[in-house]
Amino acid sequence: MTRFARRLARAPPQPVTKVPEQDAANTLPGATNGAAPVQVKAGRHREASLYHALAGAGAGDGRTLAQLRAAALDVYEASELPIWRRSGFWTTSLQSLDLDALDPAASAEGVPEVVSRTIPDGPRAGRIVQSAGETVHLELDPGLAERGVILCSLEDAFRDHPELVGPWYSKRLTIDRHKLEAANAAFWRAGAFLHVPAGVTVSEPFEIVYAIERPGVAQFGRTLVLGGANSEFRVHEYDLAEDFEGQALHAGAFELYLQDGARCRLAQLQDWGSGEVFDVSTRFVGVGRDAYCHWLPALLGGHLVRQHLELAVSEKGGDMAFRGLLFTEEHEHLDVFAVDLHETGPSGGDVHWRGAATGESRASFEGLIQIDPGAQQTHTYLQFHSMMLSPKARIDAIPSVLVSADDVSASHGGTVGELDENAIYYMQTRGLDRPAAVRVIVEGFFEPLVAEIGDEAMEEVVRSKVAAKLAAAREDIEAYATSR
Amino acid sequence: MADLEITDLHVRTEDREILRGVDLEINRGEIHALMGPNGSGKSTLANTLLGHPSYEITQGSITFKGEDITEQEPHERAKAGLFLAFQYPVSIPGVSVANFLRMAINAKRDEPIQVKEFRTQLQHAIELLDVDKAFTSRHLNDGFSGGEKKRAEILQMAMLAPDIAILDETDSGLDIDALRTVAEGVQKLHDEQGLGALIITHYQRILHYVKPEFVHILMEGRIVLEGGVELVERLEREGYDQIRQEVGASAAAAGDEGA
Repeated sequence: MTRFARRLARAPPQPVTKVPEQDAANTLPGATNGAAPVQVKAGRHREASLYHALAGAGAGDGRTLAQLRAAALDVYEASELPIWRRSGFWTTSLQSLDLDALDPAASAEGVPEVVSRTIPDGPRAGRIVQSAGETVHLELDPGLAERGVILCSLEDAFRDHPELVGPWYSKRLTIDRHKLEAANAAFWRAGAFLHVPAGVTVSEPFEIVYAIERPGVAQFGRTLVLGGANSEFRVHEYDLAEDFEGQALHAGAFELYLQDGARCRLAQLQDWGSGEVFDVSTRFVGVGRDAYCHWLPALLGGHLVRQHLELAVSEKGGDMAFRGLLFTEEHEHLDVFAVDLHETGPSGGDVHWRGAATGESRASFEGLIQIDPGAQQTHTYLQFHSMMLSPKARIDAIPSVLVSADDVSASHGGTVGELDENAIYYMQTRGLDRPAAVRVIVEGFFEPLVAEIGDEAMEEVVRSKVAAKLAAAREDIEAYATSR
Repeated sequence: MADLEITDLHVRTEDREILRGVDLEINRGEIHALMGPNGSGKSTLANTLLGHPSYEITQGSITFKGEDITEQEPHERAKAGLFLAFQYPVSIPGVSVANFLRMAINAKRDEPIQVKEFRTQLQHAIELLDVDKAFTSRHLNDGFSGGEKKRAEILQMAMLAPDIAILDETDSGLDIDALRTVAEGVQKLHDEQGLGALIITHYQRILHYVKPEFVHILMEGRIVLEGGVELVERLEREGYDQIRQEVGASAAAAGDEGA
């Protein structure tokens, strides 16, 4: 048995799941005009505060990596697999994950086939691939290396560039909110580190890949990206797994910090295949003064996925566009918490997500706009549009707004849709059969976001994945049509 | 046998019978006008011909190029060479006019159309219909004005080159310039490609620009009068009420028979 597996196996059973996010739900801070917070019965008002923005919390406070790992291990051992329950809407439970059966030190055998099969072999600035817990491929344009760009595993970065990594590692990511977050902080291996120095512009994408090749793997991905002042670059992350039978886990932590005037386009494509892959990840993007980030996750599959995605405009003049698309099928469960956080104003935000669901899949999107007291003159808008493609699929969208400044504009909107039979008929009269017409509608539904990726090769990957899902759900979609 | 033969067509929706025995024959190269007051069943006929799922054919048949298409799916009818220009075209967000046209053309072919050939055809259609080239990169009908939607319908018609096109109140809501462009487009397709058309209209305006050889008047689910272009002029003079009175007796009698 490996050291990591022993650690995992050693976790003692606990009678109560300790999830600080839920504990916090039992108080209503600020609701009492200075009096003591009202204690409310468990279960009430849980809806308003199941998930919270990290909002500045971070474990990186000068402790060494070893100290952080040890602290995370304590939390890991003291906690059980989490359940997040939003009554009346959804329950995201990790109880069916057999963590003891997974191997966090599984060895990798080269670059999994799914990587070369999925990612276009186009021009790129660099690529790092992690399979299971090992870096299996690393390349960086030598010209960029000469200009000071660093792309390597995070482990190597701690060894070779401690002065760069130290101040930023886990700066805005916690390590103790739940067992899998703690597991990541305690057990992560390999990982990815990208540093684009001040003033460097790179037009081709940096590709960061996490792949799971076979069942039984527990992968703890850890990414740190630093964009120096006035740098400009793009990052494409791919989270991929082969289609296999059996369980695997990806518990990821991702942080990206953009310094003054930096500009980054970050796109993430996630498709964990048809295996029973659990993915519980937290991602934080911090936008500095006059910096800009365009962030677009495409969440296209996984047995059970929970993503905490937080985009914070931390300094004056920061701006961001937060786009996302999700598409679940069969029995998949996807739980997205997207945070549009403004810590200082003036700042801008624009959140636009779209989701579709087939089969008996469940997806939930909780979008939070949070504007802190210092973020005057913030203007932001959050929208979520969904399309149900099967009678048993369900998508919930819960927008919320927490505003602590008075000179701001923040609003949200959204639509819930089904297939438009008039549009299908219209296209049929032009010769398209029903499946083709449905495909046009759903692809058209996602297209405004796909086109924003701004990289034709990656756009094509997303389009083809959407098309493949529609083809797989063909009977389901047909049955839905005839049932109405 | 005519290219499109409609025989004793009875059609109902969930709540009522709308067409009560329509007979109509249309050939390639012929321009027909179908006129009638609101609620007479014009749009029902148009959509029934294309196989709209909400309309149930309770009696009669539709034959196209010798084949009974009464039970066919809409896309099969389209592939066979029927076309419907909608009264209210649906918007298809996220799909450009050009891409949609390419898909629709390819749906009719075994081999996808060559890029160059497609461009040539598109250029020709654009000139024919006097539309801006940028028009084809916009999302289909998404945010289009009424006139733009109708032009997009005729552009699709020109590209798909059907044998018989049904134009469902294509003239309604158009200003005179748009109306002229649309009407001239239909006329040119007729002259150049031998298009057969059934122009459904409530008004007479469009028929000043496209000259029908055959005019049919639909009232209460039946064709009550047929003739040449002189019927349009008569309608302009007398209005539907006069004709209704004239044909009222026979229609009522036939209605009793049908019930």
